[in-house]
Amino acid sequence: MTSQLAADGIRVGLEVHQQLASTAKLFCSCPVIKSEEFPYHFERKLRPAQSELGGTDPAALFEFSKAKSNLYLWNPESSCLVEADEEPPHPLNGEGLESAMLAAKTLGSNLVDEVHVMRKIVIDGSNTSGFQRTAVVGLGGSFRVDGTQVGVQSVTLEEDAARILGEDESSRRFALDRLGVALVEVALDPVPGDPEFVAKVALHLGRALRSTGRVARGLGTIRQDLNVSLMGGKVVEVKGVQKLNLLPKVVEYEKKRQLGLIRISEKLGERGVRRIKCRARNVTKVMGGTASKVARRELVDGGKVVAVVAPGLGGLIGWEPYPDVRLGKEVAEVARANSLGGIIHSDEFRRQGLSEAEEARLRAELQSEVADAIILVAGRPPMVDRCVPLLIARLEEAVSGVPAETRAATEAGETRYMRPRPGSQRMYPETDIPDITITASRRAELAGKVPEDWQAKVARLQREYSLSEDLAIKIYDSDLSVEFEDLSRELNVEPSVVASVLVDLPSRLAREGVPESALGLEVLSEVLRAVGSGRTAKEAVPDILKAAGSRGLSVSEAINALGVQLAGESQVRGVVDSVLQKHRHVIEEKGDASFSLLMGEVMKELRGKADGAVVSKILRERLTELTGKKAT
Amino acid sequence: MEDLAGYKGGSLNFLKKARASIGDVLEVETSWGVVSGTLVPRYVYGDGDHVVLKLHSGYNVGLDVSGLKSARVKAKGEKPSFSVSPPPRPSKGLPRVLIIGTGGTIASRIDYRTGAVHPAVSSADLHSLVPELSGVAKVQPEILFNVFSENVRPSHWTKIAQRVRKAVEEGSDGVVITHGTDTLGYTAAALSFALQGVPVPVILVGAQRSSDRPSSDGPINLIAGVSAAGTAGFAGVYVAMHLGESDDKVALHRGTRVRKNHTSRRDAFVSVGVPLAAVWGKSGSEYVSEDLPKRGSSSFAPRTKFEEKVALMKFYPSMPASLIKAVRKLGTRGMVIEGTGLGHVSKGVVKELGLFIDAGGLACMTSQCIGGRVDLNVYDTGRDLLHAGVLPLDDMLGETALVKVMWVLGNSHSLGKAKEMMVANLAGETTSRSFPGEPL
Repeated sequence: MTSQLAADGIRVGLEVHQQLASTAKLFCSCPVIKSEEFPYHFERKLRPAQSELGGTDPAALFEFSKAKSNLYLWNPESSCLVEADEEPPHPLNGEGLESAMLAAKTLGSNLVDEVHVMRKIVIDGSNTSGFQRTAVVGLGGSFRVDGTQVGVQSVTLEEDAARILGEDESSRRFALDRLGVALVEVALDPVPGDPEFVAKVALHLGRALRSTGRVARGLGTIRQDLNVSLMGGKVVEVKGVQKLNLLPKVVEYEKKRQLGLIRISEKLGERGVRRIKCRARNVTKVMGGTASKVARRELVDGGKVVAVVAPGLGGLIGWEPYPDVRLGKEVAEVARANSLGGIIHSDEFRRQGLSEAEEARLRAELQSEVADAIILVAGRPPMVDRCVPLLIARLEEAVSGVPAETRAATEAGETRYMRPRPGSQRMYPETDIPDITITASRRAELAGKVPEDWQAKVARLQREYSLSEDLAIKIYDSDLSVEFEDLSRELNVEPSVVASVLVDLPSRLAREGVPESALGLEVLSEVLRAVGSGRTAKEAVPDILKAAGSRGLSVSEAINALGVQLAGESQVRGVVDSVLQKHRHVIEEKGDASFSLLMGEVMKELRGKADGAVVSKILRERLTELTGKKAT
Repeated sequence: MEDLAGYKGGSLNFLKKARASIGDVLEVETSWGVVSGTLVPRYVYGDGDHVVLKLHSGYNVGLDVSGLKSARVKAKGEKPSFSVSPPPRPSKGLPRVLIIGTGGTIASRIDYRTGAVHPAVSSADLHSLVPELSGVAKVQPEILFNVFSENVRPSHWTKIAQRVRKAVEEGSDGVVITHGTDTLGYTAAALSFALQGVPVPVILVGAQRSSDRPSSDGPINLIAGVSAAGTAGFAGVYVAMHLGESDDKVALHRGTRVRKNHTSRRDAFVSVGVPLAAVWGKSGSEYVSEDLPKRGSSSFAPRTKFEEKVALMKFYPSMPASLIKAVRKLGTRGMVIEGTGLGHVSKGVVKELGLFIDAGGLACMTSQCIGGRVDLNVYDTGRDLLHAGVLPLDDMLGETALVKVMWVLGNSHSLGKAKEMMVANLAGETTSRSFPGEPL
């Protein structure tokens, strides 16, 4: 396979984890609350386990080898003995199961006949029991995005993990409030890796899930993972793309990174290197007088330095097939994921402060030629010892191009190595929960609860309320469609105005410094009511909201403070009559043609504080009465 | 013949037709598409309508056979088995500790029969699951028997006690017994009586969270138990289980005053009315009570017989007196009553107990309050019980009392001698002093 297999070669499998809106957690009766304080804690370590089919799991062994202890913080308002792994799980939350089944049906996926809850081994500490409870609810099926069919692999109901609060050399800290909250996971078949298309699929997926009305909203309630692979190549799992707009960036970054790794493997091929056999040696003594600040710092601390010799990789560790893509960077990330500061490799010895003489001494000691790359790993002995085999494995994989890995997405839309990709052997039955049969009657009951297709709903909003597509989608996405419809029907205000006040104005005003939190639904409804009842004109709304939002005034107070209250009808009549009286002669002279002059005079006297349409109507009425009288 | 354990009815026929066995990779056609996966066993209480496939992703799904159009064996598979790596060689100069396995969840696997957790069968499992043991002692694991502890009987206690005696003769520095937590307290009491004067530590350990899960408390308890068994300066029978919900401390409880007070928590075991015997931390003993018998004391003459025909009855309001009569008619030789409060029962029951005693039975009184001592001198009911011949057992735990009566009746020749032994404090089963503020 060559790197000439350009952009089309990339396939992206989207995996979305969506928190469900539920009154209780999935396997206990705890409410779903994000706690701020944690008055209690306990400390545990997790051991690897064996799966049903025999054999052990590489990712599990990796985590155990890091052997940190886990500190769990908890608050009785948001977790109980079940989350503390001190009590068996309670029966599966029926509400959660139904939500997952609805999600499956909404995406065109097929429900299984019997739901089996499994234990998925996770020993990074984020599950107190050492596993996540998870069950497949839907298999296969598909939906369409922009006319392209997107296959669904599975729809799964599972519990969320504990929140990581921090980590240091020897321990990790977790909060148990989030552990056990119901999630639905949707895994899609790989689609062509066009970044914009992937983003569209993710957007559609999010909307379809929200159409069920059973999902939680807010920051962090939906997480996106991507499985990226070049045609037929190993799959790289990228976890935790929090914002939709980062998806295209992440896809681009992975494309570049993976193609770069393939180019490196091709280069090795050109050099005739089919296999890399690394060796490692403790060079703490040799590095004793090193000029490299980085190495010296580690040595001073009682650390050790190990040199890994990688034959055939000389010059290829620092080589960049594409900007910022380097084998050295990959290897350094593995080191950092294992609590080491990084690595020093031979392609940058000079830059890192190692002189030619020092390098020569090192190479002599290691019996290594220039064609070999040397990677120095420095740090505390137990960490270095744990890390070296992993670095060797990574280096030796360079010949095959892209290794299967689990990587984390960064906030900048890049990816970083997290851990080896786990095998499928880390699952076995959750024997504390009986299997659940999805009976025919349950299916029938469900059929009545499948929500309106989101695209159909958007089209309806457009049609019924004469909204633009853009505004209709915004209303749909905002989850205020019910309130929008209610307000539009109740108030004497154009629906497009209602819509724009609900979903456009707040973000516009936010850019002018008005906090969005101050413009909640109540405030927006109130200002709309004021417009609907004629208390103020729609043109005054932005200023009213600005005053309310940034000065903490109520809508009423803001209207008065700004002086934008409209004159009531009787007041308008009064002014119209007095103006008509004042300009009697003009009316006598010009009749109906005096209208615009009179209109101007009335508005001047009202100081513009009237709904022009109302004034015009009243003026015309009165004028017609007067001139009509005259006419006869 | 194909191995299709657990499948029955329609699903069994379906699989037979496809010539499929557990472990084969099966491809089935549903109304909506093809599903491929490994056929895994069906739990014995599952219905006969579904087949269970383990997908490539590792998930199990159940599919209704009536909705399956066809099935095809894609590949003959490996039957699920468990590979156990050999244990590391122990470091030199370490004490010798025998680990007697009796069942329980220290080392267990998934049982396909019921879908529940079941004790492991190979002794290599025990050691290989906890390789740290090699740094603590030269351990010699052995499976004596393999039952859920609710199925343990006095004959099992006898077996364990005899094995411990042999271990002492063989020169073991200590013995650890792995046991299910449900009746661990009973067995600890039994061994405390049978092995009075034992010159080495005998430590019972269990696990509240099954060992198939990474969070199991079993390994920590086992390591502490082995460390105590091998290195402690004291002797006697103790229970070693978590102290608190963290993994940092293990409590050692005296065998006659320990009780399982929670169905599932790691720290379920408590010492009732006495301080802890010892506390073990990550690097060894952190606290040892001064009143424990020293290691290597002289006399050790185990008496390992137990009389099975003893009943433990918890009195309750409206308990029919005829219940006592019915138990007597079974040939019961001894009865321990958990009375209310200071050791009370209803009038009718007092009468029946009297009849039991008159017929030669041994009847003893403890309290279902768990904390505190019985005193049959305070109220009329108590005095009536004394008059009837019921033996008050001070602050002995009901479960311990049951075991003691079984042991006493198995190791005495006269009722008089039996009563004497019942009221003597043989293995710390009663205390003479209690204090305010002790946790209930």
